[in-house]
Amino acid sequence: MRLSSSSNEEVTRYSPQTSDNDKRVVVAPATTQTKIKLSIQNVNAWFGKKHAVKGVSLEVKENSVTAFIGPSGCGKTTLLRCINRMHEMTPNAKAEGRVILDGVDVYDKSSDPAMVKRRIGMVFQKPNPFPTMSIHDNVAAGLKLNGIRDKKLINEVVEQSLKGAALWDEVRNDLHMPGMGLSGGQQQRLCLARALAMQPEILLMDEPTSALDPIASSKIEDLVQQLKEHLTIIIVTHNMQQAARVSEQTAFMYLGELIEYNPTRDIFKNPQKELTEKYISGRFG
Amino acid sequence: MSSSNNPSSRKEKSSGERPSKAGNNFRQTFQEISIKHASRRRITNKIVSIIAIVFVIGAIIPLASILFEVIKNGVAVLSVQFLTQPPGAIGSDAGGIGPAIQGTLITVGLASLIGAPIGVLSGVYLSEFATTSSVKGPKQRAISFFANTIRLFNDVLTGLPSIVIGIVGYVAIVLALNSFSVWAGAFALSIIMIPIVSRVSEETLKLVPNSLREAGYSLGISKTKITLFIVLKNAKDGVLTGVILAISRIAGETAPLIMTILGTSLFFTSLTGPVDALPLRIWRLASQPYESAHGFGWGAALVLILIILALSASIRLIARGKGIRVRTETI
Amino acid sequence: MPRLLDLGLDRIRNIVTDMAKLSEGSVFSALEAYESNNIAKKHIFELSEKLRTLQDEVTDLAVELIARYQPVATDLRFIKSCMEIAYGYSRFGRYSYDIVDVLETLTPLTDCDKNAVSEMAMTVRKMILLSVNALESRDKMAAQDLYQMDDTVDTLYRKYLRELVSNLTKDSSGKPRCYISNLLILRYLERIADHACYVGDSVYYIITGASSPRR
Repeated sequence: MRLSSSSNEEVTRYSPQTSDNDKRVVVAPATTQTKIKLSIQNVNAWFGKKHAVKGVSLEVKENSVTAFIGPSGCGKTTLLRCINRMHEMTPNAKAEGRVILDGVDVYDKSSDPAMVKRRIGMVFQKPNPFPTMSIHDNVAAGLKLNGIRDKKLINEVVEQSLKGAALWDEVRNDLHMPGMGLSGGQQQRLCLARALAMQPEILLMDEPTSALDPIASSKIEDLVQQLKEHLTIIIVTHNMQQAARVSEQTAFMYLGELIEYNPTRDIFKNPQKELTEKYISGRFG
Repeated sequence: MSSSNNPSSRKEKSSGERPSKAGNNFRQTFQEISIKHASRRRITNKIVSIIAIVFVIGAIIPLASILFEVIKNGVAVLSVQFLTQPPGAIGSDAGGIGPAIQGTLITVGLASLIGAPIGVLSGVYLSEFATTSSVKGPKQRAISFFANTIRLFNDVLTGLPSIVIGIVGYVAIVLALNSFSVWAGAFALSIIMIPIVSRVSEETLKLVPNSLREAGYSLGISKTKITLFIVLKNAKDGVLTGVILAISRIAGETAPLIMTILGTSLFFTSLTGPVDALPLRIWRLASQPYESAHGFGWGAALVLILIILALSASIRLIARGKGIRVRTETI
Repeated sequence: MPRLLDLGLDRIRNIVTDMAKLSEGSVFSALEAYESNNIAKKHIFELSEKLRTLQDEVTDLAVELIARYQPVATDLRFIKSCMEIAYGYSRFGRYSYDIVDVLETLTPLTDCDKNAVSEMAMTVRKMILLSVNALESRDKMAAQDLYQMDDTVDTLYRKYLRELVSNLTKDSSGKPRCYISNLLILRYLERIADHACYVGDSVYYIITGASSPRR
C-alpha cells in the first residue's frame, strides 16, 4: 500500500508500466508543485528561562511531509507547538518570531489563535479522545463546539473524517460507543479523524506512534502518505526509521537549534553535518 | 591467513569475560539475602494486613453502632402521621415532625441553589482560569495572589465553627429583615457549603488530564466551551461528590439554624418567616424530659439519615444515567 | 561505547581487507606464472575459490546488517561499497585464474614476445596496489589516479590489439598460440584495470556520498 499509493519521490519515482508503452514517462509526483505552505522565520521559544527553540527558520512545501527529528529535549516538539500557537498555552511559555501560513503571520495581532488552530490541526503523542464522548461525538466535537448545528452535515463530515483516518469500516456500527473503548491504535486514528473533521490545511503530528505497537504505527504511517494528497503534514518523531519512511524533508534539531534541514533521502544517505550523521547512525555522546 | 574470523572470536571472548568472578559471588550472596528477606516479608505482610483489618473494624464499630441505635429506637415511631403532622402538645405522643422535614428540604435546597453554583464556579476559576498563561508579568502575579487568597479563605471558612456563621447570618439578615427567616438559614448554610464545594471541585478539575484541554484547544474551541463541555463534563462525578458531601454536611447543621430560622412547630409560610428543621427538632426533642419526645427524636434522626442517603443515591443515579455508562479508569 | 553495528562493520572490513590481500596475491602470482612460465594453477584456483566464498560472506553479512540495524549515512554507504569492492576483488581472482587457464591450455609460451603483456602488467600491478591502499587509507583522490592509469591501460590495449592484427596478417605462419594468449591476457588485464577503477569509485562513494566524477 505504501509503495503504490504514495508519491514519495524516492521510492516511486519510476512507476511500473502495465500496458501502454507510450506512456513510459517518469512519474511527476505531487510534490513538484513547490508552493511554500508554511514559513517559519527565526522562531524562538522559552519555558520560563529555558531557551527551548533558538532562532529556527525553515520552509515547508504544500502537500509534503516534513519530519522533525532529534534527541529528547532538543526542542522539536516545542517548535511544532509554536506553529499552531499551542506553545503559548503552557504556563510560563513564550514564543517569538514569525510563522507565515499562506503569506500571513499566525502571530500577527490580527490573527485569532483559535482560528489558527482550526487551520492547523494537531495529533498528540498519547491518544486523547474525549472520555465522556462517543466515537461519533468525539469526531463531531470540534464542529459542534464551534457552532455547527446542521446534523446532516455533521454526520457527513464524521463519516468522511473516519474514512480519512481509515477507521470507518471498523467503527461504522459502533458510532455511539465510547471512544475510550477502542484499542490504542484505533484511539489514535479517532484523534486523527477528530482533527481531520476541522478540515485543516496543515496537520501537526507530535510523535503520533510512540504509544502504539508496530502494526498500529505502520497504519498511521500509511495514512500519512494518503493524507498528504490533501494537506501538509509535519511530524515529530523519535523513530528515525519512521522519519526516513514517511517524510520528504527532514529537519534535525539539537539543543534547540536547527542543525540540518534537507531532503530526507540526503539526510539518511549523505548528511551534510557531522552532528546529523552521528545522531542518525546512533553514535551520539 | 584468514583474519576474517577474528571479530567473531573476539566477540565471544569479550562476552565470556563479562560476568566476572566478583559478579558471580555477589549474585550468589544477593540471592541468599533475598531468600531470607522473602520469608520475613511474607510474615510482615500478614501482620500489616491483620493490623489494617483490625483498624477498619475499629472505625466501623462506632458508625455501625450509631446506625443500629438510631434504627432500633427510631423505627418504632415511623408512621404517616409522624412524617406529616406538626408536633402535638409537649409531652404527648401525638403529632409528628412534618414541618421539620419540610423546613430542612426547603432550607437545604435553597442553600444548595445558592452555594453549589458559587462553589463549583469558584472551583472552576481556581483550577482553570487562575493559572492562565496568556497573561504575563504583574497581571499574572496579581491573579495568582488573588487565587491563593481565595484558597486561604476557603480553608479558614471550612474550619470556622458553624455557630460563628450562624451569628453572621443573624447579624446580616435576621437583624436587617427584623425577622428570623428561611433566607437567613439558607445564606448561613450556603456559606458553609461554598468552601467545601469549591475545594473539591478545584481538586477534581485539576485531575482532568491536560491532554484533554489541549485536544480542545487544538480544535480551535474557546476556553469557556472547553471548560464547560470537556473539562467539567469529565470531572462531573467528582464535582457532584463534592456537592453531595456539602449537602450532607449542611443538612445536619444545627447551630447556624438556631440563629437564623429559629425553628417553629408550624409548617412553612414564607421565605421571610421562621421555619423548622430536622436537626433543630431533634435537638428540641432530645432536650425535653419526656420518654415519647425522645422516641420522636430518634425517629427524626433516622429520617434525616435516610434523606441524606436518598439524596446521594439519587443524584449519583441521575448523573450516571445521563452520561455515558462506561466510567473509564484510563483517562 | 561501540554500537552493535560497529562489530559487524569491523567484521566486513576485516573480510574485505583479507580479500584485498588475496586478490592482489592471485593477480601477482598469475602474472609471475606468465613471466616465469611456471604455472601454479592449483594455487591460483584455490585463491579464486576462496575469494568467491568471501565475497558471498560479505554479501550475506551486509544484508544481515541492513536487516538488523538499518544503517544510514556513512555506515550504509560503507556496506554498499564493501559489497561492490568484494565483487571487484572476486573478479580479480577470477581473471587471475583465467590467465593461468590460458597459460595451461596454450603452453608452452616460452618463445613468445612478452613485452606487451609485461608493459601493461606493470600499470595493472600499480593500479591494484593503489586501489587496495585507497580502501585502507580512505583516499578519495585514488579514483582520479586510477582512471588516469586506466586510460593508459586502455590505450595500450587498443594499440596492442591493432599491432597483433597487423602482425597476424603480415605473418600468417607465425605463432598463433603467442598471439592468442597475448590477446586474451591483455583483455583480462584490461578488465582487472576496470575493476580496480570501480574499487576506487566505491571508496570515493563511501567518503563523499556521491558517485565518482568520472562516471
